[in-house]
Amino acid sequence: MRLSRRQFLQSAALGAGALAVPQLLHRNAWAQARPIRLGGTLPLTGPFADTGVWVERGYRYWAEQTNQRGGLLGRPVEVIVLDDASSVDRAVSLLERLITVDRVDLVLGGYPGTAAAAQMALVERYRKVYISMGGHMASFRRGFKYSFGGPPLMGQWWYEGAWRWLANIPRGQRPTRAAAITVNNPVGMSVRESMLDGLKRLEIPLVMDELYDLPLASAEPLVSRARALGADMFLANGFFPDGVLTIRAMKALDYNPKVILQGVGSLIPEWVTQLGPDGDYVVSGTAIHHKLPFPGIAELNQAAQERWKLKWAPQYFLFGYAWAQLLQQAVEGAKSLNHAVLVRYMREATFKTIAGELRFDEKGLPAPYEYTTQVINGEVELIWPPGRRSAQPVYPKPPWRR
Amino acid sequence: MLVQTLQALATGLLTGSVYALLGAGFSLIWGVAHVINVAHAALAVGAAYAVYALATRGVDPLASLAMVVPLFFLLGVGFHEAVIRPAARRAGDLVLVSMVLTFGLAAALENALAAVWGPGPRVVNVAYTGQAIRLGVLALPVPHVAGAGLAAVTITALYLFLHKTFPGKAVRAVWQNRDGAALCAVNLRQVTSLTYGLAIASAGVAGVALALIYSFSPATHLMWLVFVFLVVIVGGVGSLVGAVVAGMLVGALTNLATLVIPFAWAPFLLFASLGVLLLWRPTGLFRR
Amino acid sequence: MSRAAAAGLLAVLLVLPWAGAGEYPLALLYSTFMYATLAVAWNIIGGFAGYLSFGHAAFFGLGGYATGFLLVHAGLSPFLTAPVGGVVAAVFAALAGYPCLRLRGPYFAVVTMILGLAVRAVVLNLPWTGAAEGLWMTLPPWEPLAARRAFYYAMLAIALVTAWTGHAVRHGKMGVGLEAIREDEDAAQSIGVPAVRLKMSALTISAGLTGLAGGIYAYDRSYIHPDFMFDLHLSVLAVLMALLGGRRSWAGPILGAVVVRLVDEVLTVRVGTEVARIIFGLGLALVIVLLPEGLLPHLMRRRRAPRPPAAVPAAVVRS
Repeated sequence: MRLSRRQFLQSAALGAGALAVPQLLHRNAWAQARPIRLGGTLPLTGPFADTGVWVERGYRYWAEQTNQRGGLLGRPVEVIVLDDASSVDRAVSLLERLITVDRVDLVLGGYPGTAAAAQMALVERYRKVYISMGGHMASFRRGFKYSFGGPPLMGQWWYEGAWRWLANIPRGQRPTRAAAITVNNPVGMSVRESMLDGLKRLEIPLVMDELYDLPLASAEPLVSRARALGADMFLANGFFPDGVLTIRAMKALDYNPKVILQGVGSLIPEWVTQLGPDGDYVVSGTAIHHKLPFPGIAELNQAAQERWKLKWAPQYFLFGYAWAQLLQQAVEGAKSLNHAVLVRYMREATFKTIAGELRFDEKGLPAPYEYTTQVINGEVELIWPPGRRSAQPVYPKPPWRR
Repeated sequence: MLVQTLQALATGLLTGSVYALLGAGFSLIWGVAHVINVAHAALAVGAAYAVYALATRGVDPLASLAMVVPLFFLLGVGFHEAVIRPAARRAGDLVLVSMVLTFGLAAALENALAAVWGPGPRVVNVAYTGQAIRLGVLALPVPHVAGAGLAAVTITALYLFLHKTFPGKAVRAVWQNRDGAALCAVNLRQVTSLTYGLAIASAGVAGVALALIYSFSPATHLMWLVFVFLVVIVGGVGSLVGAVVAGMLVGALTNLATLVIPFAWAPFLLFASLGVLLLWRPTGLFRR
Repeated sequence: MSRAAAAGLLAVLLVLPWAGAGEYPLALLYSTFMYATLAVAWNIIGGFAGYLSFGHAAFFGLGGYATGFLLVHAGLSPFLTAPVGGVVAAVFAALAGYPCLRLRGPYFAVVTMILGLAVRAVVLNLPWTGAAEGLWMTLPPWEPLAARRAFYYAMLAIALVTAWTGHAVRHGKMGVGLEAIREDEDAAQSIGVPAVRLKMSALTISAGLTGLAGGIYAYDRSYIHPDFMFDLHLSVLAVLMALLGGRRSWAGPILGAVVVRLVDEVLTVRVGTEVARIIFGLGLALVIVLLPEGLLPHLMRRRRAPRPPAAVPAAVVRS
């Protein structure tokens, strides 16, 4: 049958239109699909802001990536982060607002541990899944069903790798006496638990065990005492400002322990960028690292280079991304935004995240991690477990560079 | 044990003198002008950031004083002219009003610093960071000595100014008896402006000293402010000598306490002793 | 505000939780009631007597820790034990306040600030209340909405008790005495005003009411820590609210609290916390300079001021 020209043109137009419609529908569908809203609070101003802004960047970068790859359950994701100004009270009331007024579909974890702990109590009452750093072990012993540490910043696990590494050192070369200073807050107290446990296992006596309150005015008295007691292992279970004072005091007093364990101070980029070579060789723990071979880390490192001119993705950027990623995998795996369904799924499934493979127990915790880091030549390297090493550990600590 | 005591005492006195410097300017403004400048520590933090900016360009903190001192002097004068005078004209209770006003200013300054520098901590590294001067068994960290040196020079300069120069004596006159001074043809406005300039300039120097020793971030000023209050109240408002003694006392007590009690209880002991001291001498040690 | 209007407002507030208000509006009002309580209570010693305390967070936190402790170790609900929290705070105020009240003016302000810091430092090291780890409590057993209603009523009750107390103090003999102390303490004493007794009473009452609020607040949080239960910011906020609203009256602080809470809410959500703080700081500075007595007296003066007479032509006046 010969088509008239008009008929031909008409059918061609119809055909083209028919082909285009799914494209148009798809684009329209995407643009018009109600976004999945994830809401949370972070300290974007105030004393904890230096970490808070990185967690936010992690969340937002995850959202960007997810949207580029087609969204979550076919819908675009939208991240809402409110500034709690480093106030726990605000963190809780703003989160309550996000849940009850803005009716966000999913909740994002807060920072620091005190805010996360208070928010864990809130989300348990509202029955919302909450993936965050947690408030250390005490918060995970409350029987909360809805909170998960994915991964958690668990002080009690912090030095686990370090103890195993030290156990591998021949007994004659190990430290013989330990001195410790611990910041008097939840982070410090949890890290101290890890310390006490490990020192007992390695049979290293603890000759000094001091707690201090922030702000630390001067570290010299503490360091001088450690030196006088002949401690060849020093644990600075604290944050950045006190860590800086402690390192400088050690250098000024010419105190040279064989190994320095630093709490969480060396976890932020400033330890390397601001403190400089004096901060080298401190050993710390971590739950996540930019040199781990898990899928996704390479892209995050690249993003850090392109956007912020940093060599590696900062720790808290990775944490933020990891927590959001975990939420995403739970939602995709359970194919649901229903929190009761998500909770069940989270306890059954195995997740492959940038923090490795995670499986959650009834407390909402994954298996304890045992990564250990050491700052070597201005780089935060992984020194334990041996299979994940990115550099050889340096032990004992070389004398101070003058 | 003796060595540790001496070491603790030495470091405490060094850091204490820096608190004294920070408190001296604050005390001066309070005593002379009845203004409680809650933004004092925030201004010092601002100076610390200035030091940082210059240090990253290779300028030694001590050299940056050449810029900090005149700049902060002008800031002080400007602050008085533009903010305090209008407020003083209208306010009944200047002490209270000034507290609230400067509280707002401190918050604004903190946010401004955060906007420019970000909230992360900064550290000033110089050639002598981590070095120490050895005095027998004692090790005196060089940055602490430098900070204490700055404090000593500045406070001495202030003292000499107040006691040996005519404008300085005018300042003291205004403080002792405002109306009486006015009757003696002292220009109140000029004198108060001068006082502000000096006080804020000293805050600038204190910022330089603190930057040598501590890391800082926009939010640090609140922590330094607590020390300022302690020093001024214990030392006596308006008394430079008092600020020095109180600063040393606070510094020494904090450090020495740790030899006797767990370090965790040191802040409480500090507060308790200072509270008791205040109850024994309500207007401070050296209230004029 | 006329009695009828006040009664109407109260009726609305009482009915609101059952009239369909959601969790968040109830939470917002609950926190406004709490701020009003803190401000009015603070004002009893700060505004009426002129003794500006910068350590009221100590009383707040003690109340919270008292009820928390009783919940954890005795299983008693803070809804029952909040008064105990108030009593603990009041007793502490009496003991620590007696020496403090011997200081005047800014010295009292600073010593109370030191007191607040000292209490925090102590509780941070007390093992029986969680020390530096914080104190975990069992969660309230109700569903979120029901819980919000319960807390709403509890805090409203506390606010009403506080308001009534503020009113009673202000308009009673005690208020007269406190005002005399504020104006000129030495002169007041010389004419027989029992200054010490009055100041102690004022401080104790003020602390007790503050501790009451803290006792309920802790239960709502379920996790408390000295860093935010004894926060200096809270002490300063109490001062600012009373200052803003007006220190001379018992109701001024309520206005201050409402303004602070609502402005903060609107700004935080719409504009962001940082800008909110700047605006708030500037606004406060403006108010303190332009309206040193606070908002309430200014508003009341404007309402009561007679209309100015119609302008008279200058020629008429001059002749």
